[in-house]
Amino acid sequence: MNSLLKSFRILSVTKEIGLKAVTQTSAFHSSAVLDKKWNQRNYGPTKWLQHNKTVFPPQEPNEEPRKAFVVHQRANIKYSPNKMWYVACLVRGLSVDEAIKQLSFCLKQGATDVKEVIQEAQEMAVSRHNVEYKSNLWIAESFVGKGRVFKGVRRHARGRMGKVEYKHCHYFVRLEEGEPPKHYYQTPLTPEDQFNKWMEQMRSRKIIHSL
Amino acid sequence: MEAIGQGRQCIKYLQILKSGTGFLAPATLQTYNNTQVRHRITKHWKPEFKRFRREKVIKMEIPNLQEKSEDMTTEEIRSRMKEKGILPPRPWLDRPFHISCTGGIFEPYVPPEGDGRKSLLSSIGAKQKFEFLEKKSKSMLAVRKIRNYEEEFETDEFGQVAQDIYIKAHEQIALKDKHALREFITERAYPEMMHNVKDKTIHWKFLQSLEPPRLVHARVTDVISKENLFAQITVRFHTQQLLAIYDRFGRLMHGSETLAKDVLEYVVFEKHISNEYGQWRLHDKIVPEWLPARQPAPKTYRLVEDLVQPEEAVTEDDKKEVAATA
Repeated sequence: MNSLLKSFRILSVTKEIGLKAVTQTSAFHSSAVLDKKWNQRNYGPTKWLQHNKTVFPPQEPNEEPRKAFVVHQRANIKYSPNKMWYVACLVRGLSVDEAIKQLSFCLKQGATDVKEVIQEAQEMAVSRHNVEYKSNLWIAESFVGKGRVFKGVRRHARGRMGKVEYKHCHYFVRLEEGEPPKHYYQTPLTPEDQFNKWMEQMRSRKIIHSL
Repeated sequence: MEAIGQGRQCIKYLQILKSGTGFLAPATLQTYNNTQVRHRITKHWKPEFKRFRREKVIKMEIPNLQEKSEDMTTEEIRSRMKEKGILPPRPWLDRPFHISCTGGIFEPYVPPEGDGRKSLLSSIGAKQKFEFLEKKSKSMLAVRKIRNYEEEFETDEFGQVAQDIYIKAHEQIALKDKHALREFITERAYPEMMHNVKDKTIHWKFLQSLEPPRLVHARVTDVISKENLFAQITVRFHTQQLLAIYDRFGRLMHGSETLAKDVLEYVVFEKHISNEYGQWRLHDKIVPEWLPARQPAPKTYRLVEDLVQPEEAVTEDDKKEVAATA
């Protein structure tokens, strides 16, 4: 690794002199020829969109109509998955209109991508999946996956080196028809329930060395 | 003494300025009200370090994983390929086409207004009868030609044969068996029949034939060479059918499971007669102009107005006709 770094150093010195050497460093990862050797079978996320293909059996006329849903994704967004997590959590359990409104004012770079994906999914739901009203959707699932990571080099003291990770992320979303639930996560306990729970805990204590 | 005098004058000026009559007054007042604002400083306190810090990270190019060839202009693609040293692909100028069926209906049958029930005494009725006789002679010739290649061909029996093909083709659509479907419909009809079938459940049932299927029109034509012959026969069906279309989630989209409907159709069948293994297959359907509009699906659609006038483009819920699959 040290020798590799040395070669980088030499290259950076020769930046002004030889243009050819510089182009070699710039094509270190991006070259498609090299990609083919070590990353040939990386197709990105493949399973999530399969949910759009499930066909449910016909319902009886007296049954309650099944809620429509549509899944969508965007792969390899140039944004850190760690940062995207906050955006994904922001819209979870909101109605589509509310989510788009919130994302328009979210000062994060990933918010634009998330907004676009949600709008695309909404369009898909109406045009392909027999959803009657496009506002009658809510975000049932919204999460992030880790995408391609390109490793870069950072120079440290004494001929050592550090690693720079240029991360990409995948964003996945599922829109469901209907009104959003009041509580997306667990329903919070009422004060009375909390008290009862606490009482239960207290009474079920085991007092050691007692009769 | 002079110094004291100057000092007095200065005070005088200040007093004048303080009263705010002079044009300089707001400027001086600002100096008093000035509150300290801290601006964000991104500059290093010692600028010479900036270069060292920059040189710590070795620059490298990350490919843009979001870019698609569809979004790029030809010039951009060209420069990108030049950069990577890839030769442009060979231009694909071949046009695929099928020789096992024709691309349409030649001399299509025009169904008479009101299904030919106009009185002979009326002018329309008389005209229809005349046209019918004119076309009948041509059909007779075509049938004779078909018999040259298919000896056991009978015009009376063909109606039943056609109905069997018709039923099997529709059953295969409901089953979505695209390989079996190819036996009963031509390559031209395939995309039309299979359009919008994906993700849907179709329940189709042939209940009965109200009138016996009747051969109304026959034509034979040669394609490219004189020996390469195609025959097309139009058959009139008057049947009773059941149709219910369910969407991906099993909700009823169109039709009904109980309500039977009377269907009047003019269906074109085709056969490559010069081919020894040719089969009669469903080719097309003739929809008469006088036919009343089909019943739309019970769904609300959004009417998108022209984008030229965004102020007036008020969305309206409107019911639109939906193209039924079958």
